[in-house]
Amino acid sequence: MRALVNALKTGFSEIWAHKMRSVLSFLAIAAGSVVFIDAFSAIFSTYARLEEQKTVSGMARLKITQNYSQTYSSPDDYVPPPVITYDDVLKLREKMPDFYMISPEVKDWHNVLEYDGRRMVTNITGVSHEWVKRDFVYKLKGRFIDRHDMDHKLRVCVMVRKSAPPPTNIFFKSMMKKWNFTSGFDTLIEHNDLLGKKVKLDDFTFTVIGVLEELPFSRRPNPILGSSQDYKVLAPVTTLAHYNIIGSYQSLDVKVDTGDERGFDEAQRKIRNFLKIRFGDDEYFVLENQLELIKERIGDSIKSSLVTISLGMLAFLAGGIGIMNVTLATVFARTREIGIRRAIGAGRGDIMLQFIVEAVMLGLIGGVLGSAVGYLWGIPVKVMIGMDPSHIKPWMPLVSVFIAVLTAFVFAIYPAWVAAGLKPADALRAE
Amino acid sequence: MSILCSDLAKVYEGGKTGWPALRGVSFEIKSGEFVAVTGPSGCGKSTLLNIIGLLDEPSGGRYEFNGRDIVSMSDQERSQARLEKIGFVFQAFHLLNRLSALENVCLPMLYAGMDSHEMKTRAASLLHKVGLKGKERKTPLELSGGERQRVAIARALANAPELILADEPTGNLDTVSSREIVDMLFALNAEGLTVVMVTHDKEIAARAGRNIKLRDGRLEP
Repeated sequence: MRALVNALKTGFSEIWAHKMRSVLSFLAIAAGSVVFIDAFSAIFSTYARLEEQKTVSGMARLKITQNYSQTYSSPDDYVPPPVITYDDVLKLREKMPDFYMISPEVKDWHNVLEYDGRRMVTNITGVSHEWVKRDFVYKLKGRFIDRHDMDHKLRVCVMVRKSAPPPTNIFFKSMMKKWNFTSGFDTLIEHNDLLGKKVKLDDFTFTVIGVLEELPFSRRPNPILGSSQDYKVLAPVTTLAHYNIIGSYQSLDVKVDTGDERGFDEAQRKIRNFLKIRFGDDEYFVLENQLELIKERIGDSIKSSLVTISLGMLAFLAGGIGIMNVTLATVFARTREIGIRRAIGAGRGDIMLQFIVEAVMLGLIGGVLGSAVGYLWGIPVKVMIGMDPSHIKPWMPLVSVFIAVLTAFVFAIYPAWVAAGLKPADALRAE
Repeated sequence: MSILCSDLAKVYEGGKTGWPALRGVSFEIKSGEFVAVTGPSGCGKSTLLNIIGLLDEPSGGRYEFNGRDIVSMSDQERSQARLEKIGFVFQAFHLLNRLSALENVCLPMLYAGMDSHEMKTRAASLLHKVGLKGKERKTPLELSGGERQRVAIARALANAPELILADEPTGNLDTVSSREIVDMLFALNAEGLTVVMVTHDKEIAARAGRNIKLRDGRLEP
């Protein structure tokens, strides 16, 4: 124990006496720690996002959209492709009662909203009562559109209130200020309680039955596929079609959650079949397989994390070799000291311990420093520059410090063994 | 304490046949003796001292330290013997310049696992004994040659050894300091310690109770 304390003291004074050399030798180890923490937090953030995908957005997702890439041999051959209407959606619902969600969505831009004598441009999204089932990252005041509104084509709407951008995001803030991205609509919603009020949308009077407040940035789930659509006004798709706010040529996008990953392929086949029977050809529509996309993204992020980890391991290796080199140099520079210590009674073990402790201290300093930098980069700095903070678990810095120390230890064994193997008489004669 | 050498030989590696430093040296040193090892440069004095001090192994012959053949001793046992039974004083002092005088004296006790407080008290009293009271905190670089050698003597005494091996301890010192150091070694011998000292100085050799004269690696009759 005392020998260890002594070795620690000697090691510290030796490191302190050669600050530059020491810093250079643990730099690579520190870099390894930074990279290690970054990579592991990236893996964890992927898994966290996967969990959010499961709970918020669902896994077995697909989207039916019009196939815009159909080609025609000449303009004369062009016939307008069939569109998906709400009736088709109802039919699909009838055929597939087991699906968790079949949510139609259609967007119209440049609509005029009038309230209290003020007119402003907004966009309207036609949805059904099933819209709330997925990607619901809001707090609802009032109520959402229900079956009754849909069936009776009632002129009701739900407003979406934006949350403030992340408070520390300096870059985003300044851009917002400079380019005035905040629209009149957002300002209106922010400063007026519209719940229960009447507004005019494209000259039709609608009643605001609900307000969806976006969760603040820090509490908003961040699923793999993301959910950052710019919703402003939501209204029953049936109403919008009825009042011609949405043209009859506009096809609905249908977002589907089949509810079960296992039956996903079968569900896809069924939907294709349905489209083929109903429209004569399933080429008119595209089935976006979002489960595949989710899997791809997870695979990609794990792969890139693994690459990063291997870089980190490489940095640790380089750091280990650096420490080995420095320790070996120290052994040769202090051969006479080794001789003196041996002459006054130090055993081989004492000498080995001294050099190993010194190297381990270098590794420890490097690991702690790297972990600190990794943590600072992962949370405060990333938040400051407006990136998502890393998912750093308390054990990550500990593990990275442990790896740093272990690396230093392993790479110090050889130099320490060389030091311990020196013959006392020869060591004493060294210049 | 007993040292028994018979037909001791040491050949350093180098060249085809090696370079012989000792060619069959036999003698015995008994407890409480003051032995001066003399001889011209390169005659093998330091080699002999290193072997006696268990810092080096003989290439031939037999050396018994306290009745044990050193060939049968492990490295750990030799380290232990150096730690507990032998104190070294070198010509070049061989102090650790990074440490203070006190810490230098503490070092052997540290390896012996002595309690921290006891260690410091003993080191301070040893420094007092060699006349360095008040200079405990000074590093070797802040001390004169004579003072450094006193620190080295205090360090050699740290674990109350039975044998002091001094390798030309006055070689780097002026006359006054030399005299003081030599007097100190004689005083230690008077207290019962066995002292083996390598020296060039005929005067000192004459004061010693016994001389071992070496020439070309052999004992001079």
